[in-house]
This record gives sequence, structure tokens and C-alpha cells, in this order.
Amino acid sequence: MKHFPTRRAILGTASAFTLLALTACGGNVGGGAAAGNSSKYPSGPVTLTVGQAAGGSTDLIARALAEGAAKTLGSPMPVVNKPGANGALATKEVSGKPADGQELVLLTASLITITPLAVSADEAVNIDDLDIIAGLSQDDYVLVASQQSGFKSFKDVTDAGRNVTFGTTGVGTGSQLAQTVLFKQANVKGTDVPFDSGKPALTAVLGNQVELATIQLGEAMAQIEAGKVSPLLVFSEERNSFLPDVPSAKEAGYDVPVAQYRAVAAPKGTPQEVKDKLLASFQDTFKTDAYQEFNKKNLLTPKELTGEEVVTEWKGYAEKYKELVGKYDISLGGNK
Amino acid sequence: MDFLNPVLNGFSVVLEPTNLLYCLVGVVIGMLIGVLPGLGPAATIAILLPLTYGVEPVTAIIMLAGIFYGAQYGGTITSVLLRLPGEASSVVTVFDGYQMARQGKAGTALGLAAIGSFIGGTAAIIGLTFLAPLVAGFALDFGPPEYSALAMLGILLVATISGGSKVKALIAASVGLLLATVGRDIFTGESRFTFGSLQLADGIDFVPIAMGIFGLGEILYNLEERHRAAKAPSKVSNVWPSRGDLKHASGAIGRGSVLGFFLGILPGGGATIASMASYAMEKKRAKNPERFGKGAPEGVAGPETANNAAATSSFIPLLTLGIPANATMALMFGALLIQGVTPGPQLVDQEPELFWGVVNSMYIGNILLLIMSLPLVGIFVRILRVRAAILAPITALITLLGAYTINNSMFDVTLVVVFGVVGYLMKKFGFEPGPLVLAFVLGELLESSLRRSLLVFDGDPTGFFTRPISATLLAVFVLVAVLPGIRSAIAKRKGTTAAGASATDITNNIKEKV
Repeated sequence: MKHFPTRRAILGTASAFTLLALTACGGNVGGGAAAGNSSKYPSGPVTLTVGQAAGGSTDLIARALAEGAAKTLGSPMPVVNKPGANGALATKEVSGKPADGQELVLLTASLITITPLAVSADEAVNIDDLDIIAGLSQDDYVLVASQQSGFKSFKDVTDAGRNVTFGTTGVGTGSQLAQTVLFKQANVKGTDVPFDSGKPALTAVLGNQVELATIQLGEAMAQIEAGKVSPLLVFSEERNSFLPDVPSAKEAGYDVPVAQYRAVAAPKGTPQEVKDKLLASFQDTFKTDAYQEFNKKNLLTPKELTGEEVVTEWKGYAEKYKELVGKYDISLGGNK
Repeated sequence: MDFLNPVLNGFSVVLEPTNLLYCLVGVVIGMLIGVLPGLGPAATIAILLPLTYGVEPVTAIIMLAGIFYGAQYGGTITSVLLRLPGEASSVVTVFDGYQMARQGKAGTALGLAAIGSFIGGTAAIIGLTFLAPLVAGFALDFGPPEYSALAMLGILLVATISGGSKVKALIAASVGLLLATVGRDIFTGESRFTFGSLQLADGIDFVPIAMGIFGLGEILYNLEERHRAAKAPSKVSNVWPSRGDLKHASGAIGRGSVLGFFLGILPGGGATIASMASYAMEKKRAKNPERFGKGAPEGVAGPETANNAAATSSFIPLLTLGIPANATMALMFGALLIQGVTPGPQLVDQEPELFWGVVNSMYIGNILLLIMSLPLVGIFVRILRVRAAILAPITALITLLGAYTINNSMFDVTLVVVFGVVGYLMKKFGFEPGPLVLAFVLGELLESSLRRSLLVFDGDPTGFFTRPISATLLAVFVLVAVLPGIRSAIAKRKGTTAAGASATDITNNIKEKV
């Protein structure tokens, strides 16, 4: 695909044709799914839409899953990225598509459980507008401290008795929720400094611009292993198997279970036999070595639930976060 | 040697067949659009941005960089042969280049320009190689306060140094800053200017703005200019300059390399200003300046060397600080972001293969361009026959197709059309699009870094002056803001400014002349 237009480009002498030939390979992502009403499912390619940019962890998960599921389903599963509004754009678009199982979306839990706490109601996504097919995995958040801060455990932070600065991966993210709730519970005064994503937040810790930050494990691991940042807590309910020496917030005595979960969803009203077939094909994918290896490499803990389990669990978290935010009078939006 | 290892690894990246091929494609396209008056490197890169989506980051940037410096070579050809500058940075080449062509020395002019470009470009790459790791050594010291100061300095320089009316540049920059505020506030989650549309929740994407203003706007504007009836270009023979000519021009080439290198690093600087400054410098230094404008070889060699050196060195602020120095670099910035690579002080350490791959590809690209400019120049002269009526619809179509493929969104296509009209109207009414696009890019950086710094400083703005790097940058900011006023005050008192002035002086002088 890459080489073919290039070769043409060299042969072309007029620049117009060169431009045309080169751009021809830019459009290799689309591919409309043929939506048919036949009882035979799938009727053509099954599109998996991702609300995040290509190359991010959500996108990688979608691609790893689609690669396996395309084999078990016997039909291609192209991954289409439609980034915007933290995934709300893509999710809303897919939920409006025909409920025939040809259009799926990769859903992140934070969009359902945390984002509604930060944005207005009409911008939020409701899980009841979708049929959840299967849960995928859990991506843990870890609280890290800069070297200059001298913090080696969370007890150091509470003992410091001063105002600390902490970076988050943005407004309405698990990183912000986890830290603000934790600090309220631990009675630590902190200044919340939002960054655009995990990478700049980590850089700010490395450069001692902020003392603490909560980022996803996959992003922090290299610097943790290099000893450049100290891991203080993980926010999962149990210790993370990739970081067995770091206590969970629960162990340390705090009630703040926050992690990023991901699931696959379809438009509301998708026929049961289609959902069953999809779930079965995903479950077959979960068993493959390639997919398990992918999870391990990206420090993802498998959380392969059925659709109903996902709905119950996510609704539980949404309820829990709402309660925590209300209890400690936290506003994820701006009231600073 | 530790320092040299990544540099050498970079060569092995360049020498991969795919990368070599894309380097070749890039410089060929660069030459082509350099020859075609109207479509500049910024427009071409804007149009081709979506293409970079499908290839490796190194490969994509190697190609886009090739387009940029390739255009500097190509722009010379039409300046010399037709008195039509193919690029803004080749405007001054017209003065002496066309005169040389009329005297039957077109080949000599092109040869000198090509050799000068090659030397200038190569010298700048060597400078880049040594300077970049130096800056990167401070990588982790660059926090929000430093970025705020850098962004402020960048916006100021862009608005004041760019050619044309300063007031109009400032207006365009303000519009750019305003556009940068659209979207969900990243600190509070509040929606700003989104009019309830989720499409705008993340703000306006840089790429549709660039594709609209530079790509579509440029195409529309060129359609209006119908004066491009193909004249018969002068005959080109003897592109190898004689030893005497070379000796004559060698000083100009040396000075052009140094001048271009430093002007390219300055935000708001770049190839166009470097070429003008070099012309002014050569004229000022010459024993008999009246030869200029009548076919002086230095008048071709100097500016052409300088514009190439500047084109290369303008990569330094982008790759080492993440601050685009000019509009084309803003597009490179966009291209890197599409690839998931954030340019900044960490780039050299985190992505050594990308960094050194791109830098070293410029050696190869410059050699390829030298070959194309000397023996193959006749082929490119023929490109001039392509008619605008054919070119414009095809490029417009490619632009819109490309816009769709970035996010698979029709909304982006609409944005490109809207900004295309904006870009067209701006050009028509004499507003440079550069300051708008740069202020848009830097505005986002400025706002978030400023607010982040104030959070870290606990709301105390004096905190900026407690950190050495941000304090220095702010001092420079004040200097740049105040200097023109002081200088004109002194000039009024003295009558004229003293000779042997700094590069900015020359720039100002030349601006008055052009």
C-alpha cells in the first residue's frame, strides 16, 4: 500500500499527478460497512470505532482485539479513529447507527463514570444508550512522586504537613478524581495542575515542576524502573501484578478505587444472537497467545466480563464517584 | 563517542530504502512546487499532511522536510529565468539573477545558486547537529513557566518580524489567539465558543486550519492571478560556474551560510528574511555597490545560500524546544503531533532515531538537490508549462479528500472550506496568514503553560523571574518589544543608524526597501 503510490510518484513528471498519487494512499482507513438486514451475521466488515487518536493505548487495545476477532468472526474488523471530546463524539455517533452489530465502539469507563461529573449533562454519554458486548481490561493508575520531593511512600506525603503540587492527566479524568479524593481523605492540601495527558504530566514530575502525579501504569513504568520517579500507591482495589511492591490505596486505608476500564459496545437494541456471536468471538480472542501477550506487554490486567457485568460494575462506580465527590465537596470542573 | 552514536544510527535510519525513497520524493516535490509560482512549501505541506498519517513518523517528516528545503532550490529557477520568483525567499534573487540571464549567464547564476544552497544547507545541518543536543541538555528544566515565556516571545517575534504591515500581522495574530481558545477549557471543563457542538469540544484542530488557510486559500488566490502565460524561458547552458565566478561568490556564500543559520533560528525569521538580509549585507559590503541589480554574482549566491541555511536551521527551535519558528515549521509541528510525537526538549533523548534520521536525511536531500539543480535543471524548466486551470482543481480536490481522511469527519472538510475562504480573503486584503496560524499554535501552549505556572507559583506572577531560563526569556521579550521604539528614537536624533548594524537592523532596512 505504501510503496505503490510512491513508485508512481517518481514516474510522474507533472507535479499535479505527483500530488494526486501520493494522497491516494492517505485514504486507506475508511471503508463503509455494508449494512444488510439478513439474518446471517456478520454481513460484511464490522467497524470498530475508537474515540481516541491512533497510537494511544485505547487505540492499541482496539487493534489487538480487532485482529483476533476478525479471524474468529470470519469477517474483517477495520478500526476507525474518530477522536474528539474524550471519546464522546465517536460514542454518540455509533449509538445512532443501525443496531445490526456492524458498527461497534470501544468504550472507556471514565467516559461513563467520571466525565459526567465534569461536563454538562447534554455533553455526557449515558451507558443506557448502548448495548455493552464485553469488558476487556483494567488499566491502573499509579501515584508517583518526583525525586526532589523526597516522598518515598504516601505516609511521607501525609506527614509533610504542607501544600503539595500534583499533576493530573486532565479535567474529568480518573487521574484527577483519584488524587483529589485521596488528598481529601488523607487531609493533604494540594494544588491541582492539569496537563493534557499522561506524558506531559510525567515530564513535569521528572523535571520537578510538580511533586506528584497520577498516571497510567503503562506510561509511568519505564521511569519507575529507571528510578526517576517513586511509585507511592496504585488506585486499584488490589495490588497490581506488574507492581507487586506498591501498596494499593485501599491497603493504605483510603476508599478511592479508580482505574480505567475498557469495553466494546454496540447501538442499543442489537439482536441477542448478534451480541452472543460477538461475545463468543471476543472470548475466543482473549484465549489467544497473541492477545494475552499484548495485555502483558502493555501492563493491562485482563477484566474480561460479559456485557451485563460491565453495566452493573460501571454503574456502581459512577454511583460511588458521585457519592465521593459529593461527600468531600469536590468539583472536577473549575471552582478554584 | 557517546555523542556520535545516535548521530551515526541516524544515518542507518536514512539509508533504509523506504526513507531514501521518501527523501527523494520530498525533494522532487519541493523542486517542483519551488518552480511553480504560487504554490509554496507551506501550502504543499498543508495539503500533504494527511498523507503522513499512513507512514512511519521518521519517513513522513523526512519527506515533508525535503519539500521545504527542496522548494528553496526550485524557487531560484524561475527567479533567474523568468523574473518570476517561485518562492517568497527567492524574490531578491530576481534582481541580479534575471540580469545575469539576460547577459547569457543564466547557467552561471543557477549553478552558483545551487552550489551556494548546498553549502548553506550543509553548514546549517552541521550547526544543527551540535546545537540541538546542547539545548536538549536543559530538557527537564523546561517547565510550564519556561514554555509560557517562550510562547510569548514567539508570538511577539512572529507578529513583529514577519514582512508586511505590522498592524495587520498583529490583528492576524490576535485572531489566531482567539481561535486557540475555542473548545473545552482544559482546567475547568467549561465549554468556550463551542456553541453546544461536541465537534468543537476539543477545540479547532490545527490541521484543517492550516489546510484551509495555506492550502485552499492559496489555491483560490492563485486562480485570480492569471498572468502566468508561459514566456519562453532563457536558454540554460554551462551551469558549472567558472573558477573566477566561484572565487567571486565564495565570500558571499560563506557569509550567507552564517547569517542564514542565525536568522533561521529566530522565531519569526526564516528563509525569506534571511535572503533579504543577505542581499542587503552583500550590497553594503561591496566595493562598488552599483553593480548590484545589474547581474552581480554575489547578489545571487548570497541570498540563495542564506535562504537554504535558514530553512534548515529553522528546524532547531522546533525540534529542540517544540516552538515553530515560522509557518512551515508550524505545519511540521502539526505533522509530528499527528504521528503522536510531541516535539520538545525531550525529543533528542526519547526519539533519537526520529531526530537524527530527519537531520541526517537533509545531507542526502541536499546532495540529491544539487544533482537535480545542476544537470537536470532543464527538466524542471519544462514544468512551467502546467496550466493553473489544470493544477488548481486537482490540488483543491486533493486538499478536501485529505482533510476527510485525518479524522474521517465531514466536519473537518467544512472547516477546511471555511478557513480556505478566510485565507483567500486575508491574502486579498494584505494580511499574512503566517501570524494567524503561528499564534493559533502558540496560543494554546501559552494559555495552558501560563495557567499551569500560576498554579505552581500559587498565583504569584513574580515566580517567572525566580527561574533562570524563564527570567532570561522574559528579559529578551521586553527587549524585543521595546527595542524598535528606542532605535527609532536614536535614529531620529542621529539622523541615520550607524553602519555595521546587527542582522535585525539589516532586516528592517531591507523591509523599507522592498
